[in-house]
Amino acid sequence: MPGRSRAEREALERQNGAIMALFEGAGFDHIAPDIIQPADIFLERSGEDIRARTFVFTDPAGAEMCLRPDLTVPACRYHLSHVEPPSRESRYCYCGSAFRHEASSPQEFTQAGLEWFAASDAVAAEARILKLTIGALEAAGLTKFHVTLGDLGLFSALLEDTAMPARWRRRLQHHFWRPAAFRDLLENFSAKREVRRTSISGLIDRIDETNGLAVVEAELASRNLALAGGRDATEIAARLAEKAADRREQPLAGGKAERLNAYLAIATEAASAEAALARIEGGKRFAGARDYFARRIFEMEELGLNPRRFQFAAAFGRELEYYTGFTFQIEAGTPLGRIAVAGGGRYDNLLSDMGAPMKVPAVGCAIHTDRLRAVLS
Amino acid sequence: MEAAAASLAKAGYGIERLAAGRGYRGKLSGTDHVEVAFLSASEIAQNLKDGKVDLGITGEDLLRETMAPDDPSAEVVTRLGFGAANVVVAVPECWLDVAAMADLDEVAESFYERHGRRLRVATKYRNLTRRFFAEKGVTGYRIVESLGATEGAPAAGIAETIVDITTTGATLAANHLKILDDGIILRSTAVLACRAGVRNDSRTRQLSDALKLTRLDNSGHDRVE
Repeated sequence: MPGRSRAEREALERQNGAIMALFEGAGFDHIAPDIIQPADIFLERSGEDIRARTFVFTDPAGAEMCLRPDLTVPACRYHLSHVEPPSRESRYCYCGSAFRHEASSPQEFTQAGLEWFAASDAVAAEARILKLTIGALEAAGLTKFHVTLGDLGLFSALLEDTAMPARWRRRLQHHFWRPAAFRDLLENFSAKREVRRTSISGLIDRIDETNGLAVVEAELASRNLALAGGRDATEIAARLAEKAADRREQPLAGGKAERLNAYLAIATEAASAEAALARIEGGKRFAGARDYFARRIFEMEELGLNPRRFQFAAAFGRELEYYTGFTFQIEAGTPLGRIAVAGGGRYDNLLSDMGAPMKVPAVGCAIHTDRLRAVLS
Repeated sequence: MEAAAASLAKAGYGIERLAAGRGYRGKLSGTDHVEVAFLSASEIAQNLKDGKVDLGITGEDLLRETMAPDDPSAEVVTRLGFGAANVVVAVPECWLDVAAMADLDEVAESFYERHGRRLRVATKYRNLTRRFFAEKGVTGYRIVESLGATEGAPAAGIAETIVDITTTGATLAANHLKILDDGIILRSTAVLACRAGVRNDSRTRQLSDALKLTRLDNSGHDRVE
């Protein structure tokens, strides 16, 4: 239904007032990032799938602008333009409209959230953000909810510990976000699939360890092709050489693929996840990531949270390319099933991607306040 | 337009232009109460979707581009025997290391790392492109709207790759572009399409049955050639 009645508006404001009072009381600076944002930051970072859901328009000066599809990127922009150097610890909270073109849900919704940049104690900050998110939902009146935790750092560490050519690792990491493609790739590397010939297989047949560039240059010359599309012969030759090397490579053996799959299959109550992780035979880096995970559980308990009530899923967070480590989602239990009302996690690459000259650790959360309101009423 | 008129004529329906319509309106002879509107190709699908026309003869590519896959407001009644063309993903022929959409995905990723901006795809098929790329797991790209001469976009430096419609592939080849192995998004033909409300109208069925017969003629003709 278009618009909010006075009663609906007041109920939402009351709910969000309680959330923001909690956030401000915890020492987070209440800011108001801009609604209208330069489109490039969102679009160059996220690609076309987000663009399809973002309201993009051209301002009278010809610049491409958008209505913010979330508040994290605008909060980062605020930070980059107000704090020098951006690696100075800062804590923000906000509550405002965001806009997404979606068939099934409203195009305009109110998001409340936290962003904590450059926290001195990273693991404590993660636990604290989760604690505050749960506290905010409870302050709004939510009593029945499910918490799912994920940790992308564990997977990256396990992959680093698994012996394989660096290019395979890079491709697996890249495809981590697309479960089906990841599974195919892992099967390819384990030689469980017949390799299909393609239109470039004939060219790859001619490439060995050293002649890649020569073959590419000769081929371009003989077919009278000029380079186009922003890629040079070296890059093209390097990819062909990788494909040729893939053919000579020994397939993954010794249970490596099985181990990665066994890890990704873990889904258990969070407090006993440590035991499940201990059964995965990783190396030094994985042990380090496990230790980090255990410290986070400890910090949660210190803050009065009960991780026995949370679920840990190794594959959780695979849909959210944003995040780099800890992730979480909170769903409200309703008679119609579970509805996601809040989520968050660690995103250490965003500020440097947006122009910070150094990596700035970041962890945050967002609450979908309209959905929360709908669940509660 | 000529092919549509020829197909209708073969099916036994002439088109009479009405003077009062300034050449943009007409009626179908051979049946009662069917008015004809001459619209530009790009408008027919949108008019069907909006329910402003009941039936349309248009390219399936334009229909699928205009309608979401689950949109029930219009549908294909009959595929016709002309206007066959494929909507394809094409990349510069000099990209000797790229055969498939999976390659394009990897190239897009390294393109972003090298240039700090997304690989660009020039097309007039914004929605078909988004759907197909998502289905193939390719995400790191940007669409550049191109309403004509799309095949020239890579040479002009407007985009690196294109999604375009092609009948023989000759124009692509002339522009040093190649179609990816798994880059056929849609095998399109001209179709008779209707808005949802007239699917069971007797005139829809009549017209569709008559056009189906001409389609068989056409395909026979093609085989002889």
